[in-house]
Amino acid sequence: MKAKKRKTPVLADWLASTFIEEALQEEFFGDLSETYEDRVLTKGKSYAKFMYWVDVLHLLMGFSSFKRFKSGNNTIVMHKHYVITSMRNLARSKFYSLISILSLAVGMGICLTLSQYIYSEFSYDKFHNNFQNVYRIVIDEINPDGKRYPYPYETGYAVGAAAKEQIPGIKQFVRLHKYSGGAVIANSEQGKIFTEEALNMFFVDKTFLEVFNFPLRVGKMEVAFDDKFSIVITEDAARKYFDTEDAMGKVLTVSGGISPGNYTVTGILENLPMNTHLQFDFLLSVENYMELGWGGAAVKNDDGWSSPDFATYLVLDEAADLNTVREKLNLLIVTNTKQKNAYKNISVRSELQPIKDIHLKSDSEVDQGLVRNSGNLLNVKFYSIIAFFILAVAWINYINLSTARSMHRAKEVGVRKSLGAFKSQLIGQFMTESFIINLMAGILAIGLAIIILPIFGDILDVKLDFDLLEIPTFWLCFFVMIGFGSLLSGLFPAFILSSFKPISMLKGYMAVRPGNFDLRKALITFQFALSLFLMAGTYLVYKQIMFMKNQNMGMEVEKILVLKGPEVNLERSKLESNLQSFIEKIGTHHSIASVSASSSVPGKGYNTGIPIRKLGAPESADKFGRVIFAGFDLPVTYNLEFIAGKTPTKQMLDGKQVVVVINEEAVRAFDLGSPENALHEKLFYKDDTFKIVGVVKNFHWHSLNNTQTPYLFEFYNDCRSYISFRLNLSSIQESLSAIESTYNSFFPGNAFDYFFLKDEFNQQYKSDVQFGNLFFAFTILAIFIASIGLFALVSYSATLKVKEIGIRKIMGATVRDLMMLLSREYLILLLLAYALTIPAILYWGRSWLDNYAFRTDMGFELFVIPVILLVVISFLIVSCQTYNSARANPVESLRMD
Amino acid sequence: MENKGLGEFEELVLLAVCIIGRDAYGITVKKEVEKHTGRTILLGAVHITLYRLQDKGFLRSEMGGSTEKRGDRRKRLFKITAAGMKQLRVSQDVRQKMWKLIPQLN
Repeated sequence: MKAKKRKTPVLADWLASTFIEEALQEEFFGDLSETYEDRVLTKGKSYAKFMYWVDVLHLLMGFSSFKRFKSGNNTIVMHKHYVITSMRNLARSKFYSLISILSLAVGMGICLTLSQYIYSEFSYDKFHNNFQNVYRIVIDEINPDGKRYPYPYETGYAVGAAAKEQIPGIKQFVRLHKYSGGAVIANSEQGKIFTEEALNMFFVDKTFLEVFNFPLRVGKMEVAFDDKFSIVITEDAARKYFDTEDAMGKVLTVSGGISPGNYTVTGILENLPMNTHLQFDFLLSVENYMELGWGGAAVKNDDGWSSPDFATYLVLDEAADLNTVREKLNLLIVTNTKQKNAYKNISVRSELQPIKDIHLKSDSEVDQGLVRNSGNLLNVKFYSIIAFFILAVAWINYINLSTARSMHRAKEVGVRKSLGAFKSQLIGQFMTESFIINLMAGILAIGLAIIILPIFGDILDVKLDFDLLEIPTFWLCFFVMIGFGSLLSGLFPAFILSSFKPISMLKGYMAVRPGNFDLRKALITFQFALSLFLMAGTYLVYKQIMFMKNQNMGMEVEKILVLKGPEVNLERSKLESNLQSFIEKIGTHHSIASVSASSSVPGKGYNTGIPIRKLGAPESADKFGRVIFAGFDLPVTYNLEFIAGKTPTKQMLDGKQVVVVINEEAVRAFDLGSPENALHEKLFYKDDTFKIVGVVKNFHWHSLNNTQTPYLFEFYNDCRSYISFRLNLSSIQESLSAIESTYNSFFPGNAFDYFFLKDEFNQQYKSDVQFGNLFFAFTILAIFIASIGLFALVSYSATLKVKEIGIRKIMGATVRDLMMLLSREYLILLLLAYALTIPAILYWGRSWLDNYAFRTDMGFELFVIPVILLVVISFLIVSCQTYNSARANPVESLRMD
Repeated sequence: MENKGLGEFEELVLLAVCIIGRDAYGITVKKEVEKHTGRTILLGAVHITLYRLQDKGFLRSEMGGSTEKRGDRRKRLFKITAAGMKQLRVSQDVRQKMWKLIPQLN
């Protein structure tokens, strides 16, 4: 009776049959089957299968060095041969191989680094479950003067709930409100007290932790917000306030701002990942805000639609149609805000912004709001283009080099052909060589990227890990990149060379040379052009930044020290007088020229934006004005230049009428005539009239990206968010200690939190500076890669021309003549590249500068410096090599025949 | 060619072939070596060694009987040659000689 035939693993069988010699296959397979049967019976099928694989693989590996290995098959032998030949060739021309691999590796490495960056920029907020269906509500409000609403991401508190109830397709809503005014938080037991800014603390709905994937390390999300005085903090905050102690259940005292009190820690979140627009350390319950905020007054007088206070996020059903929901939402909002907007002639439109778009596509110029770490889509696009270009340059280098060197190999190809090689085999050989180089470069590139990534992250101020490595798509692209690179560079020599007649190659005739030359020239020209463009770009970026930094701000910036005002332990009744006394006292110190308080400082935005008009003008004349609440001396401290009137005296702030100082732009916008005339006018807003007591020249409260807007200083005696000091800089240390001790004596228990205005201000330019740095880095790279290419090319063509040089020398040419002769062709290419780049620079330079309201001019030196620089560099490179060849002994060169 | 001697595994395999006698092929040799050494031996190692020994001239082989268990494939049966026998004896002598010279044991 025949025993039942069991199936052995098919794949393993196939592998074995491919690689093991025919003659030995029978007994091997026989033995394998026998053992397989035994094992199935004794130890079960899975064991048998597993051991089958082990045996096959082991045999395959063991056999590779054993000559019994199936060496009869052509394909394998041939591939092996290709590999061996390629390695030999690489070793033979070590210098050129090294250069090729190096420049390829650098190019690919940079490309990889940039890809990682671009990938992480696009990955923001995609880690939340169901992120595709989470949206943020955006309100687009156009004022009659065309100015857009300054808080587009904020809505009234009722919007979320109403939307969920009335619009089918909305599954959930979450509201978020920042803790305006910031707070001083203390762990009283351990005496840890710190100032936290408004954007670090959020009031949120219970649903926040459900919708957004911020896991709790300790605590349960269902109950974390049950109590109005509960607070959820991040690990970092826990460590900051509680050291090594367990923070759960402990109390944090919050002073100042919307809702001071004693809060109990009900949850500790794992530290937030970098790639989310929501960055915070503290979460409080929104119920707290609703009922207790501002002493209960926060929502009392508000119908939930008129005051935009909350960022509202909506979770839509999978099946919901986005457009339908959008239309219904719009209708809902317009209906409910009709009253408020009707008289102001404002048109409203609501939008749903997918959360994955928030990081890159938010309008941060208009929004003062919640996003601290917004990215810049334009920059990201730029970087992708640059990455691609650098890769292109590296590839071009490699193509140049390999085509040049392939001429060298003509003899070898001739021999092979006469021995009977098929064209396909020759192609195969060149492709293998190309592939090996690309592969080695690729591996090196990954190593390089790993090293460079942290440095790159530092420049851009983001944390970058090499997550890409874990994604299968990445590896796919990586190998495609290598494959494509190999193809590009392998194809040319492979096809051209393999089609030559063997005789002509053996004899050394290069009939088709002119063709190759043109291609190489074109490629080098392209590299030159790219380098020139990048150099000009870098120069322009730096120029613009310098321009912005040196711009006359219209006020004092250098000497200003800003102190964060007192928040805690304040006796309300005595606050105003204490503040005044403090200011008076410290103002007498010899190193301090002027002191004043305010609710905002330059770079920190304005306090409120309101529609105002001249007293007596019709409603339609309302224009948007930015208001800063200030102590009476603020214009003096900041050295604002008065063109009419002057800063109010303390007496004027008697509360009977609000006095304001406005800027030139306001005079124009509110149609007040001349500055002197304005002093006789009043401004009207809601129910208040403002008396204008002074007009100052325009200044830049914001970064120079912004155009001029009307500004008003409203003067009050109790502004205390910031205290600005104009120092006379004789001794900064002395000023600091004097201020600190005086401050502590007046306001004990408050954090001494200060900064220099110019540092803060320069922060605004941070992203531009980063952009500039990167551009600079790329320029260096492009030049580096192009230089390498140029150098190798020149060396190569020098070797080709050895005989020619020898003959010329004999005929009486000097070293200098020869050098000029050899470098001439490259100089011509350079100039050609330059001519091509000029229009590109003009066009792109102009469009980039358009991003800036205040811009530098492009300047004539922009077109001169880069090209001179490049000429010098190229000349150096070319002359190094040409000098060597020119010095060669003609006897030697002519003898070799 | 200078005789480099037998490796440890090669010696084990040769001895196993001698012990088994008529029915020496991949599987039986493997089992025999495993039985005496107590180690787990991979099939591939045995095969390679058998072929290597054959190339060195210590074994000869021929295709033998098939059974259903092997899916109707024949076995390659190995027998030791005179040269192989001689090699084994030489190895053994060398070991004995050196063993006797160890001071502690005498």
